[in-house]
Amino acid sequence: MSRTRWLLPFLACTRALYGQDQSDLPRLKARADSLAREWRRANAVANAIDSLERTRALAGRDTIRVGALTIVTNPSPLPLREAAGRAWPVIDSVYGDDARQLAHRPYAIVAVDPDTTVERPPRHSGIEVPWDQGVASLTQLLLSSVPVAPADTALQSWLGGPLRPLADPDAQWARVYIELVTAPSHASRRCLIGDIGGCRDALDLAEHGDALLRWYPSPPERQAVVLKSSAYFDRGAQLATLQTCAHGSDSACTRLLRSLPPGGLPRPLTYDARATLIHVALQRGGRAAYHRLVTSAGLSIADRLALTGPVTVDSLLSLWRARILAARPAPGALPPLGIWIALGWAALFAACGLWSSRWRGN
Amino acid sequence: MFRVMLYNQWKWSRLIVLLGSVAGFALPIVSVQGAARADASPLVPAELLRTVQSWGVLYPVLAATLGLLVAIATWTPDHRGRHVHALLLPVPRWRYVLLRFGAGATLLAAPILAVTAGALLATWSATIPAGLQGYPATLAVRFALAVLVAFSVFFAVAAGTARTAGIILALIGAVIVVQIIAHVASVDLDLLGKLQIVILNWPGPLAIFAGRWMLIDV
Repeated sequence: MSRTRWLLPFLACTRALYGQDQSDLPRLKARADSLAREWRRANAVANAIDSLERTRALAGRDTIRVGALTIVTNPSPLPLREAAGRAWPVIDSVYGDDARQLAHRPYAIVAVDPDTTVERPPRHSGIEVPWDQGVASLTQLLLSSVPVAPADTALQSWLGGPLRPLADPDAQWARVYIELVTAPSHASRRCLIGDIGGCRDALDLAEHGDALLRWYPSPPERQAVVLKSSAYFDRGAQLATLQTCAHGSDSACTRLLRSLPPGGLPRPLTYDARATLIHVALQRGGRAAYHRLVTSAGLSIADRLALTGPVTVDSLLSLWRARILAARPAPGALPPLGIWIALGWAALFAACGLWSSRWRGN
Repeated sequence: MFRVMLYNQWKWSRLIVLLGSVAGFALPIVSVQGAARADASPLVPAELLRTVQSWGVLYPVLAATLGLLVAIATWTPDHRGRHVHALLLPVPRWRYVLLRFGAGATLLAAPILAVTAGALLATWSATIPAGLQGYPATLAVRFALAVLVAFSVFFAVAAGTARTAGIILALIGAVIVVQIIAHVASVDLDLLGKLQIVILNWPGPLAIFAGRWMLIDV
């Protein structure tokens, strides 16, 4: 009796809610449609504003052309032509024939007063650059923001960002060497000692198998990866698992790493490593290499690199590894004249001992 | 004359030199202990670099301490005797100072050799993972130069009177006070930062002390 006493009002309620849902459906749908219409309208207005701003930013400005590289900017003391002269050969060597598209895709650079107390003009499209920047930093800026059409999502997500020329190649190659030596991953270690399969794993080019086990096969590696990302796991229900992992439980560490969203598992090597690999392929592949890379969007990354090369991926990886090993950074010791400079200072200070007031007083 | 002065200086600074030599020999060996395991774990290189870098801080500290203490000990007999003996000697003053400096520098060769021996032994005995390399000679040369620079700086300071030392300290204090006043008055003046760049960056006088002191590195 008591069960039916509660059951009847419950059924009545669900029925009423169901009825309400049925009657509200057209109204809610209309509201959703109306919101979609508003969103489309707002989007169109925003696009129009962007377009007007871009037109305004580019109208009546100086145009600098070096090769196909085109910069539209306002008059300023910025050494843009010199910077473009330095950047263009690098850009041309990366994008090859595709660099010609830059003639129609200009950089929009707005030179602004470096004095932060001076009021800036209203926001324009384009990159705001203080006009006291030097040629070197401007060149870096041009290299890191080349306005070529972006590559496909698959390539960008594998790479970890857009494909750009190496802004500071020597330093980047040297950084990759350090990564290869110090990454807490068996795959990168294997790559370092000459196992090309290890390079394939470390650079995320292998298509089969469990990435977690390929990259971090041993429990200490998995624990190191979790502890490195502890800020991400240090919340909610994962906190207890994190603590268990920190105390050495491999199953807890593995559980945490497997809970990451697809593509979220930290890769052994960073953007620089993958970018340098692509650059090896582009250098080998000649002027049409970039075009081959971006037009082979349906293939796996390994196949695309092989097509770009055009050599087998293993040959490409061997070349890349050889270049990385050759880029071993010099140990942070003394500059070339360091010994003489130090000896000079020592001699100078020793000579200061002669000027003691005690001696002169006598 | 040099031999007499060297012996005299040895008597005053033998404890510093001996302790410095022991510390210098032990430091490289201790810096590779524990981290250099024989297994092929990929965690070893980073761990080894971290350990070596942590211990590396002590090399410039040891160099500066040795330079300071030996420089003080070099001039102590003269200060105690109010420089009467030195002024009575039939040698020009520049030669006397040079002899004092030479004797101090010669005594400092012992800790430098100890660091060299320790560094060679440590890199020879440690299991260095692939990709890393030992740099005992570079470290030893750098340590020798740092000891020499520290010794000559403190040698010059210790050669002076208390008044000279006071003037130097007052100058340093004045820079700090000006910096504090500028900060309080919201004046954009970074004296200490600029001074640090001038002194600790090449070709600055103390640049030899700055940077990483790595017995094992990439």
